[in-house]
Amino acid sequence: MAELAGVFASSHAPLVIRGWKDISAPNQQSLKHAYDELGRRMKAARPDVIVEISPDHWVNFFINNLPAICVGVGEEHEGPGEPWMKACPYKTIAGHPKLATHIAQLAFEHDFEPAVSHHLILDHGFAIPLWKGGFDTLPPIVPIIFNDLEPPLPTVRRCLAWGSMLAEAIRTYPENIRVAILATGGLSHSIGEPTMGEIDEDFDRECLRHFEAADERRLVDFLNERLPTIGNGAAEVRNWVAAHGAAGKRGFELIDYCNVPEVYVGCGFASWNLGARP
Amino acid sequence: MRDYWLSKLFFDLQSTPALGVEYRADRSKVLDRYPLKPEVRAAVEKDDVAYLAARVNPYLLRFYFVVCGMPEGEFLSKVRNAGADAAARSSHG
Repeated sequence: MAELAGVFASSHAPLVIRGWKDISAPNQQSLKHAYDELGRRMKAARPDVIVEISPDHWVNFFINNLPAICVGVGEEHEGPGEPWMKACPYKTIAGHPKLATHIAQLAFEHDFEPAVSHHLILDHGFAIPLWKGGFDTLPPIVPIIFNDLEPPLPTVRRCLAWGSMLAEAIRTYPENIRVAILATGGLSHSIGEPTMGEIDEDFDRECLRHFEAADERRLVDFLNERLPTIGNGAAEVRNWVAAHGAAGKRGFELIDYCNVPEVYVGCGFASWNLGARP
Repeated sequence: MRDYWLSKLFFDLQSTPALGVEYRADRSKVLDRYPLKPEVRAAVEKDDVAYLAARVNPYLLRFYFVVCGMPEGEFLSKVRNAGADAAARSSHG
């Protein structure tokens, strides 16, 4: 059977790539340290496959056809196509059709109805944390896209349940492989809105405290109350919630939090201690 | 509210770099291919961020003005003013 080898989360601010030279030296150092540590922990988990949860930034889907959740079940996916991601080494990215199909099948059995795709473009949301984390080459990726951008969005509670289902899918996958989960996005930021550029560090710190406290009801209530009141980018915390569900809703360990105004994003980095699972 | 064809224009421009090049060279030629309402087209031609912001996903709005080459500071100023404009309209009923 497969083993859940690690659960991780990371921000994916585009300006970390597109505007690196404009970031102050201390903030560059903070971000580099955080991504290095994320990469170190992920590599230490020795994943044969990474299941990665990220939004689609209007690359694969449009408002004529917009799935709430999509599982990439193909043999191969495309790397990021944004012009400013040209230097990214991931031109094509191997998928893992057997594990991906197993996840999609179990999702249906658990009353989720995800879309599936046999060929996705994995944008900066998927690529930046792995690239900055030092993965020059990648293990196969099972991409899972959450709609975090265009309402109606999946509820926080369903994202948590999706994570629990995902952990079960990995546990029941009949092949002796190590699987890591990486959720990307958040924390607070605002894109294309009047509050663009504002980071709500109070929200971010409280959000991180709720993950650490591992009180499921309070975490869900907090996010239900606060997410609609802050910048649209914080909706990506849903991906962290799924990771939290996969980790058994406990064991959250903050790697670092970097309030970097130059990238417009409250950048969070985390892993979960799977030894804390019930 | 989402304006479908405005959203489609922004989506196509950010996902097709060659179209962005064409758009920067001859905006009208590209706009002619999209059945935009006259008032929407006029807002596009005027870079009326406040008007457009109410009709597309904010990420697409952001990407569109990057493709157009609007300087970052100018976009930030306009999108922030768009919020002030919307608040003012709201307070006036």
